[in-house]
Amino acid sequence: MTRKQRRLTLIGLAGLVLASAVGLILFALSDGIAFFATPSEVASNPPPPERRLRLGGLVEAGSVVKDGTEVRFAVTDGKAAIPVHYTGMLPDLFREGQGVVAEGKVDGAGLFQADTILAKHDETYMPKEVVEALKKSGEWRPEAAAEGPAPETVTR
Amino acid sequence: MIVELGHYALVLALALSIAGAILPLYGALTGDRRLMAVAPSASLIVLVFVAFSFGALTHAYLVSDFSVRNVVENSHSLKPLIFKISGVWGNHEGSMLLWVLILALFGGLVALFGNNLPLKLKALVLAVQSAIGTAFLAFILATSNPFLRLDPAPAQGRDLNPVLQDIGLAIHPPLLYLGYVGCSISFAFAIAALIDGRIDAAWARWVRPWTLAAWVFLTLGITMGSYWAYYELGWGGWWFWDPVENASFMPWLAATALLHSAIVMEKRDALKIWTVLLAILTFSLSLLGTFLVRSGVLTSVHAFASDPARGVFILVILCLFIGGSFSLFALRAGTLAQGGLFAPISREGALVLNNLLLTAACATVLTGTLYPLALEALTGEKISVGAPFFDMTFGPLMVPLMIAVPFGPLLAWKRGDLYAAAQRLFAAFVLVLATIVVGLALAGTSKALAVLGLALAVWLITGSLCEMAFRVKLFRAPLAESVRRASGLPRAAFGTTLAHLGLGLTVLGIVASSAWNTELITTMKPGDTVEAGGRSLTLDGFLPVSGGTYSGTAARFTVREGGTVVATLAPEKRLYSVQNMPTTESAIRTFGLSQLYVSLGDIKPDGATVVRVYWKTLVTLIWIGAVVMALGGALSLSDRRLRVGAPKPARRGAAVPAE
Amino acid sequence: MLQWILMAVMTAAAALAVLVPIGRRPAAAEGSATSIYRDQLDELTRDRERGLIGETEAEAARIELSRRLLKADWATTDREADGRRAGRIGFIAAAVLVPAIALGVYLKIGAPQLPDQPLAARQSETTADAEIATLIGRVEQHLKEAPEDGTGWEILAPVYARLGRDDDAVRAWGNAIRLLGSTADREARMGEAMTARDGGVVTADAKAAFARALALDPSNDRARFYSAVAVTQSGDKPAAIAAWQALIADAPQDAPWLPVAKSELASLENPQAGPTASDMQAAAQKSPQEQQAMIEGMVASLAARLDAAPEDAEGWARLFRAYMVLGRPDDASAALARARTALAAKPELLAAVEKAASENGVSAAKP
Repeated sequence: MTRKQRRLTLIGLAGLVLASAVGLILFALSDGIAFFATPSEVASNPPPPERRLRLGGLVEAGSVVKDGTEVRFAVTDGKAAIPVHYTGMLPDLFREGQGVVAEGKVDGAGLFQADTILAKHDETYMPKEVVEALKKSGEWRPEAAAEGPAPETVTR
Repeated sequence: MIVELGHYALVLALALSIAGAILPLYGALTGDRRLMAVAPSASLIVLVFVAFSFGALTHAYLVSDFSVRNVVENSHSLKPLIFKISGVWGNHEGSMLLWVLILALFGGLVALFGNNLPLKLKALVLAVQSAIGTAFLAFILATSNPFLRLDPAPAQGRDLNPVLQDIGLAIHPPLLYLGYVGCSISFAFAIAALIDGRIDAAWARWVRPWTLAAWVFLTLGITMGSYWAYYELGWGGWWFWDPVENASFMPWLAATALLHSAIVMEKRDALKIWTVLLAILTFSLSLLGTFLVRSGVLTSVHAFASDPARGVFILVILCLFIGGSFSLFALRAGTLAQGGLFAPISREGALVLNNLLLTAACATVLTGTLYPLALEALTGEKISVGAPFFDMTFGPLMVPLMIAVPFGPLLAWKRGDLYAAAQRLFAAFVLVLATIVVGLALAGTSKALAVLGLALAVWLITGSLCEMAFRVKLFRAPLAESVRRASGLPRAAFGTTLAHLGLGLTVLGIVASSAWNTELITTMKPGDTVEAGGRSLTLDGFLPVSGGTYSGTAARFTVREGGTVVATLAPEKRLYSVQNMPTTESAIRTFGLSQLYVSLGDIKPDGATVVRVYWKTLVTLIWIGAVVMALGGALSLSDRRLRVGAPKPARRGAAVPAE
Repeated sequence: MLQWILMAVMTAAAALAVLVPIGRRPAAAEGSATSIYRDQLDELTRDRERGLIGETEAEAARIELSRRLLKADWATTDREADGRRAGRIGFIAAAVLVPAIALGVYLKIGAPQLPDQPLAARQSETTADAEIATLIGRVEQHLKEAPEDGTGWEILAPVYARLGRDDDAVRAWGNAIRLLGSTADREARMGEAMTARDGGVVTADAKAAFARALALDPSNDRARFYSAVAVTQSGDKPAAIAAWQALIADAPQDAPWLPVAKSELASLENPQAGPTASDMQAAAQKSPQEQQAMIEGMVASLAARLDAAPEDAEGWARLFRAYMVLGRPDDASAALARARTALAAKPELLAAVEKAASENGVSAAKP
């Protein structure tokens, strides 16, 4: 093999790896990510059932019903409330009236089937998407939140 | 007085770092040996000052000096001693001080043990180190000063975030920082080479022990963090593709690539420019990790704006060092001499493939980490990039790498023989086929992917053992001959085998624990029994527990195997009163290499509680494998070949860096 | 003074770090690439002797190494630079700039006049608290291993009750009764813990416990006292008055609960005297919003009263507790600041207030 051929092999290999990496990234970006939505957005514009969403807002006071490991509650941003169903253990800081992010899909009946629940991790932290959503809907009370450590995640 | 002396020592360290950056650089450019000689002594005294400063802050934590604001915000007089100490770096200001302490430590080690370096190279390396130190000391003093005082002092502190009150988190940051900051040395060497316009195989040998040491610490630090998340967060996951984790994983991938390319450069004088680029890239990713974690961008792009001084300062440091080093690279890379030639199929070729795949994988992780930030900043649209993304991109890139790993060490330098290498791996091929056949027969086609994963792990493990067997001519020569050969092999050879073997063990743990696990989430009352992993768990009842700043309830489970009691488990639910924060403490019991894992939900007044029970097959191998990898690195580091070149043979022992 | 001397010493050390190497002739010995290549050659010879690599490869490698050895030129060209100029630059840097920067920055951001204030020197009672915590921890550890030890539970239960860990106290008394048998005192104390747990309301469970206590010992004061509270909460006014009167009649004169009993009786006979157990019960029946409003009103009036008449350490303690329970730590901090100002002239009262603040986890307001 000549020097030139060797170099071409090397460049070809590098190009191949790079191209496959880019291809994988593009493919994964169309499929492996979740968009954030507020309850009003979901209510006014219901997403297709296969679309993964992160629903953020406050846990509506008085909406939490626990039955063994199954939990039903509503996430609200003050304008609309979306019912959520979740099976499993809730995060330590899941409380009524507090910020929460639920990740999952909306089923045919309009019920949000969550497989992951994020709650704020201490008294001053609120998931950032929730802060944004609440600011948008005018429910924001700045004294209730500040930046803090990373949110606590619980997945089934 | 001690607090104020600590504060002053930090300021002095800043002033001296400035001198330590400028004078040796000027000396190296003008050829003035006296100015170059300033570098080691300045680095050593800076180390002494920063260490004193860190000690003063630790002392303030130990005696609960609540006139120091940092202590008030992160400590409590009733906290156990170990968490008073770990509280020092369990917060932003203290962790930055630890960062600088480790930076100064590495500078000091180069100053002390770098006797085998030419004076000019040593002066330049230490000048770059001092420049990094200057930037971060200025950052601490300007925006994150841990020595600010309160007068009058409050009566009690606010306690450390309970999630951080854990022995795992006490040792995780120092290990991780030793890794992160250790990358600064190879960066400094790369910059020194670019400034001087000269680089050769000896350079690679000087750099390699430092890179290897940093890599070992980084490996251990990531492992520790993963195990901590596994047992502390209470839901049995060990890796979340969380941006903070990615921030430590990217430098690891780059450092792994750097380790391998430095071998090529040392042995064959090739890949010089690439190696220099990797050294810059590795430290840039470390800096980026520090920036991502410390600026608050991760919590929210907007949190960045809520403390602009801090975020902008780190961003400026980032641009200065990353931008500066890449510009220098663009300007000077052309002046570096070309190196040796090699055929595509050769040890060099295999290591190039390793580098390509590792950097491509690193790039996908970087994309996944930064894409949501970029998208939000540009369009305002909010997305989350989670595990599915990384499984789809990172996974496929790792598979060809792992298939190639056993071939690498069996190929010859310059021109290799792929067929001969494959022959030597015959035993591994057979075992892989056996794994696939037996696995499919036992587990069925529904677990085909898991069986292939197992086969990959078997390939890595047996492949690395085959390589060692070939080297010592096991079974092909008398046993005594094999033993003689083994004792003659350099330790670095065993290090390679061990590191590749560790990778296989980790893969085995990942595949087995995700494909063959039992997971139960159920409501239990005292007296109830559940089954998991062939064992039965009975909830006996609840017990109160309390510690310095918390109180809580433990549930007592008895674990029976075929009727006999084999263990008791006591997961807890705690309430930390000062921060009014509940936490979950899971209980884990190891059986062989597998684990039984129990964590609690809320306990209702009637004694019923949601319980999460996992049986995870071979899960401990994930971390054992990583520790084996680190051991392999440490073994290579102890190889005498990496510490040669000290001016006097009698001082060889003293020239061992960070051993 | 000592502090300034030590700072001067540190400054001198920093200056010397620059001055010493500049003033000294640099040592001639330094590392170079040559030694690395020589060593690689040695190593190659060794490997060849052991048969680890073949003759042709070894030969090729030897040639390559020799070529590198010839090219190696990392060592500094031994040009003796202008020592005087270097000395002058270094001297200015070391003797002037380093101390000037350090002192300038430190005097701007440091607080040299502030002494260290370790907690031990300011407070001694926290050590007592810490001891209690470790003692509890030790008993709990023991009970984890031997959960059937009733005496252990009996020792622990009143400690929990005093620390306000009512849930644990109820559970501990329950265990003690199960393991050691039922006595009037244990049943009454369990009932008391239940009452405390449920915010002062005597629930059916607690009532049952008091009934068992009275069955075992009809003269048990504690059980009689809480039974009277229960009757008061039930709203049966005549029966309540009778119960309190009977209790007061039988009470020894130094009974610590006597004043409470008397005030309960007085408020039943004259309902204007402020919130009583029955008011609290009324509150319990209101809707959550009304309850919240009522509590807020009580807290606000307490705060106003303390601002007018601050010399009431217990009042401050109640205010702190209320604010912390209501999840308003910032208000608690503000109250602490007000108490500090108002009680500046009364250090002994202030000490009590500070203690109450730290017990309730109130932190000072951010400066």
